[in-house]
Amino acid sequence: MIAAGCDVGSLTTKAVILNNTRLLGHAIARSSINPEKSAAEVIEKALKAARLTFDDIGFCVGTGYGRERIEFVKKTVSEISCHAKGAHFLQPSVRTIIDIGGQDCKAIRLDAKGEIVKFITNDKCASGTGRFLEVMAKLLGLKLEELGSISSQATRPINLASTCTVWAQAEVIMHLNEDMSRADLAAGINEAMAARVAILARSVGIEKDVCMSGGVAKNTGVLEAMEKQLGVPMRRLRVDPQMMGALGAAVFAREKMGGK
Amino acid sequence: MNTEKPKIMKVFDELLENPQNRLVEQAAQSGRIPIGYSCSFVPEPLLMTDRLFPVRLHAMGVTGTELADNYLSSLLCSYTRSILEFAMDDRYDLIRGWVFVPSCAHMQRLTDNLDYLKKPSFIHVIDVPRKVNSATVAWQTEELRMLADRLSEHFNVDTSDHALMKAIDEWNHFCSVVSKIGELRKRPNPPITGTEFHSAVMASLASPKDLILPYLETLHDEIKNQDTKGKYRARLMVAGGHLHDPEFIRVIESQGGLVVADRFCTGSIPGLNPVKVNGDPFRALAEQSFEKALCPRMMEDFERRLKLIMDTVKEYKVDGVVLEVIKFCDLWGVDAMPLVSALRNEGIPVLKLEREYRLGGEGQLRTRVQAFIESMGR
Repeated sequence: MIAAGCDVGSLTTKAVILNNTRLLGHAIARSSINPEKSAAEVIEKALKAARLTFDDIGFCVGTGYGRERIEFVKKTVSEISCHAKGAHFLQPSVRTIIDIGGQDCKAIRLDAKGEIVKFITNDKCASGTGRFLEVMAKLLGLKLEELGSISSQATRPINLASTCTVWAQAEVIMHLNEDMSRADLAAGINEAMAARVAILARSVGIEKDVCMSGGVAKNTGVLEAMEKQLGVPMRRLRVDPQMMGALGAAVFAREKMGGK
Repeated sequence: MNTEKPKIMKVFDELLENPQNRLVEQAAQSGRIPIGYSCSFVPEPLLMTDRLFPVRLHAMGVTGTELADNYLSSLLCSYTRSILEFAMDDRYDLIRGWVFVPSCAHMQRLTDNLDYLKKPSFIHVIDVPRKVNSATVAWQTEELRMLADRLSEHFNVDTSDHALMKAIDEWNHFCSVVSKIGELRKRPNPPITGTEFHSAVMASLASPKDLILPYLETLHDEIKNQDTKGKYRARLMVAGGHLHDPEFIRVIESQGGLVVADRFCTGSIPGLNPVKVNGDPFRALAEQSFEKALCPRMMEDFERRLKLIMDTVKEYKVDGVVLEVIKFCDLWGVDAMPLVSALRNEGIPVLKLEREYRLGGEGQLRTRVQAFIESMGR
């Protein structure tokens, strides 16, 4: 019973291939301006990793901002439901999910059955999203993935007065001109990001277990800052958090095929 | 979802393309006097006396507010900025008089700036009290008499009790026809989508009522024996402040949620309930304006606002409520918080959406609505 999920996000496209409860393969690629093409490329990569062909897929669910443009899916589900489904599939004790994607962030609260009780999204501003970190990493001359690791070397993290991406850039440039260490800057950026997202997360009511999904969850600096902000540990899940939406979509596909 | 639009809908859609549609032009050319208004506290029948006719101001199709932003802060709601933008762009050049209500600080700024910048020969502000009791009804009655006197003097029109009674009859007839169409939405398979209904109501509010009535009658006749032609996953109600563009509802419905009821400033519930006259028609209008507006500026009316939504949910068999609030709207922004909690406590699923006056961020809107419907298990 091969089920597939494809998540066409604003920055990256992801695909997951599932055989019952076993993850057979997954893939990720930068989203192009053509969602159909991005989806086709990434599902092909995931199938290759799983040593399968397209004809082996019994059911495929699409999600993400480009979901309605994916040609090969039989059903679309919102990314909010998919992240919830993916997290519940991996860890049924999860009750709160904080998903930080490329251009938005969401807080989702679940009940014991994995049903969504409440959700909230931020979408009008880039300050609580992966885009904010991307801009800041570029400014510091770091790769995005280095922003988390370098922040662990910080001795005196800066306190960013503004989380507005535009104003924060000016502030970071000023600190760079003052020869402040990149570690202190990176830590301050991660903390500012966490503080911003924590406001959103609190509004759905934090209930343990809490986990993070989306690409930003791979940034250990943000993860730890979020734990500090919310005062709860973040459950580390066994799958790349960036794949959560695609995984949830694949779980929905599996259910469509009669799997539980 | 119903994919085949009633044929008559193209008329309403076309009438919404311009804030001064061809029916307004036709009436103005025949010597009638269009009066623009922007708030539900303005009693339409008074603006329907003699040669006057009311035009609900909208700025559908606005692409930006560059002109208005010179005068109104970007922290004022995009509705007031859009109206000023159209006014400065001479999109309301047929409007001969303006009637406003200082229902909020934003509306007050719109009135002040429009008065200052356009210097209209007739502009009037109705000072609506913020509480409802016998003293404030008397105050409001007096306010409406003052407006009637000014209209009569300025435009040389008859705004007597007799003329007003006639206008109230016409208004009530108009309301009864719209309500008749609205009633069809209670059916298990409504023959009209929320988008179509809102398009018809908005076009009607911006047109002379006598000229739009034949189209509304045709719409009713065309759909009364029909059913929804497609499938929908949930029955939704939309509540909130000013909502003009039917496209907002179209996006909601594109995700499988059929909008069967509305409770916003430009909707039919309870805005189009008939005026009940028992004696002084001005007093009847004053009472009606308090009854129909249900605006959060009336802070003591929270329970009534909540009850109306809950009653409508039951009456129209609504599965979930979409609460829409224009960004920076102080009144709805504050009211939405306890409203969301109260509705959820009653077991009614609620999705709160913050939006701009013109439709934007369609992708995010679709995602939220889809997730909302999914979260209801639909």
